[in-house]
Amino acid sequence: MKLSKSMFFDRRYIIVVVFVVLYLLRYVLPEAFVLEVVIQSIYVMGCSFLIGRLGLVSFGQPVYLAAGAYGTAFYLYYVGTNPYIGILVGVLMGLMVSIVAGVFLVRLSSSYFTLSNLAFCAIGFFLLQKVLVKYTHGDNGLWFLSKIDSTVIIDLSTTKGIVYFSFLIAIGVWFLYDYLMDRSVFGAACLAVKINEEKLRFLGYNAFNVKWLAFVIANTTAALAGSLNAIYLGFVSPSIADVSKAVEAVAISMLGGAGTLFGPVAGVLIFIGLKDIISQIVSHWELVVGIMLVAIMIRGEKGIVGSLEGIVHKSITKNNNKPVSW
Amino acid sequence: MNSSETILKTKNITKKFNGLIAVDGVSFDIKENEIIGLIGPNGAGKTTFFNILTGGFIPDSGKVYYKNKDITELSPEQRVSLGIARTFQLTSTFDNLKVIDNIKLACYRLQYSPSVLGMCLHRLDSAISEKIEKCLITFGLNRLANRYAGELSLGEKRILEIAMALVIDPEVLLLDEPFAGLSEAEIDEVLMTLKEHAKQQTIVIVEHKISKITDLVERVGVMVEGKIIAVGKVEEVLEDPQVRKSYWGGV
Ligand SMILES: Nc1ncnc2c1ncn2[C@@H]1O[C@H](COP(=O)(O)OP(=O)(O)OP(=O)(O)O)[C@@H](O)[C@H]1O
Ligand SMILES: [Mg+2]
Repeated sequence: MKLSKSMFFDRRYIIVVVFVVLYLLRYVLPEAFVLEVVIQSIYVMGCSFLIGRLGLVSFGQPVYLAAGAYGTAFYLYYVGTNPYIGILVGVLMGLMVSIVAGVFLVRLSSSYFTLSNLAFCAIGFFLLQKVLVKYTHGDNGLWFLSKIDSTVIIDLSTTKGIVYFSFLIAIGVWFLYDYLMDRSVFGAACLAVKINEEKLRFLGYNAFNVKWLAFVIANTTAALAGSLNAIYLGFVSPSIADVSKAVEAVAISMLGGAGTLFGPVAGVLIFIGLKDIISQIVSHWELVVGIMLVAIMIRGEKGIVGSLEGIVHKSITKNNNKPVSW
Repeated sequence: MNSSETILKTKNITKKFNGLIAVDGVSFDIKENEIIGLIGPNGAGKTTFFNILTGGFIPDSGKVYYKNKDITELSPEQRVSLGIARTFQLTSTFDNLKVIDNIKLACYRLQYSPSVLGMCLHRLDSAISEKIEKCLITFGLNRLANRYAGELSLGEKRILEIAMALVIDPEVLLLDEPFAGLSEAEIDEVLMTLKEHAKQQTIVIVEHKISKITDLVERVGVMVEGKIIAVGKVEEVLEDPQVRKSYWGGV
């Protein structure tokens, strides 16, 4: 009985359903909107995981997005034409950057972690815009849309192909996070780090390694989103790592519900949706969205998914005192 | 009868915090399978000494030996692998995990190496179930198994924390003020659980007041201002004039 229940409610089915529904939205809504939602969701997933599951708030997410985007761009601009290899190079670039950055950043205590990531992002932006200008062409950016080869099975030189591929990737990423967060020992250790890192060490776990790996997974996911975005636009410029965008990933994570499985999707949908709607009505949409974000952040990291789950749960069991799972 | 072999031992341990000498030249022997108390007033350095035994701090000078092996520089993780477990003065359970998952997390390392990659590959549910079942029953936690640790009372949390330390069958268990903040009934419950484990484990209990542990411990050490001023059987130590003077102000 327990088995059939858990099979019926298996979150993996829900993941597939959510993304298939989102994919089908492209017949109703502009394709660009749907694609932006799915790529941004992948980008925010890691940040949300770090906040909600480890208590690590990073204001440096754009730099990891940029690592992926530039890895892909460098490959396609200077080396080859195969977009799949381009994505792979971008992901490897993100992996390397986050492994190295992680060694230094993860050992910092929470507020220093937050700010040092911001500083790291600023350094990344400066490198891309000024220091490496010979390779990045500075603010002019790198254009490589025409260099992307058409590929078999899923043709990444077409928007249709990129949309399709991005959704498949998203489902894969969500399966991975679902497993890591809610089924593996690692996921429990992450939650333990959030509450009491020292205690975890005295149970015999290397808490630093737990945080480091979480950091690497989260930021490599961000890099993957950067790669997908680069392939889609066929263009990158340093503005992708702009410090002014540093708060966005954190804000969207909080908006949707940090550390929840579908928080990033809900957060991105609302954030981009509102951005589009409000910017048509008033010219300074940032102000309106900003005020709204402050209001939501006051609610805490539970966000929309967390609050909804809380309400649903409360109405069923009258017990609202548990962490959010999805 | 009681094996009197020394299992954990310190030699001339000193630890300073910016000029304040928290632990001052302490040499202390803990014998195998004994229950020993460490008492002393607030700020005597008990927790600091405890941290030096378990790897929380490296002493400024002096050595820690475990089974005649120098472990002074080992990390807490390495000491756990050797069989030294501890609890904290401020209860430290993982409030965002279920009671059973707290125990599973503590227990996991018995089965697999707690490397971070192994932790990714293994499911939390694959932890040895008989062992966990037994632990839940021993500590009377089975009715709470699926509650989040954050929902437990302080007494229940203390018991959960002791359960998490004992589930890995440590050779030495160190308890830092396990009775602080508990009601009399809860203290009795914790004492009961500990008594069941007497003789199977070496247990070191730090306490503020001696009265709670007199019938549990075999020996007791008295710490005042970073120094151990007396060690021995409870009655003997209580008669010690120096202890009477510095601990009770000469009463
Ligand atoms: N991390 C630290 N940094 C600086 N000083 C510390 C630190 N830990 C302890 N101390 C100081 O060392 C002294 C001994 O503290 P310790 O916590 O070991 O005492 P204790 O015997 O456990 O007291 P209590 O009964 O209050 O728990 C105190 O004066 C305390 O202020
Ligand atoms: Mg203390």
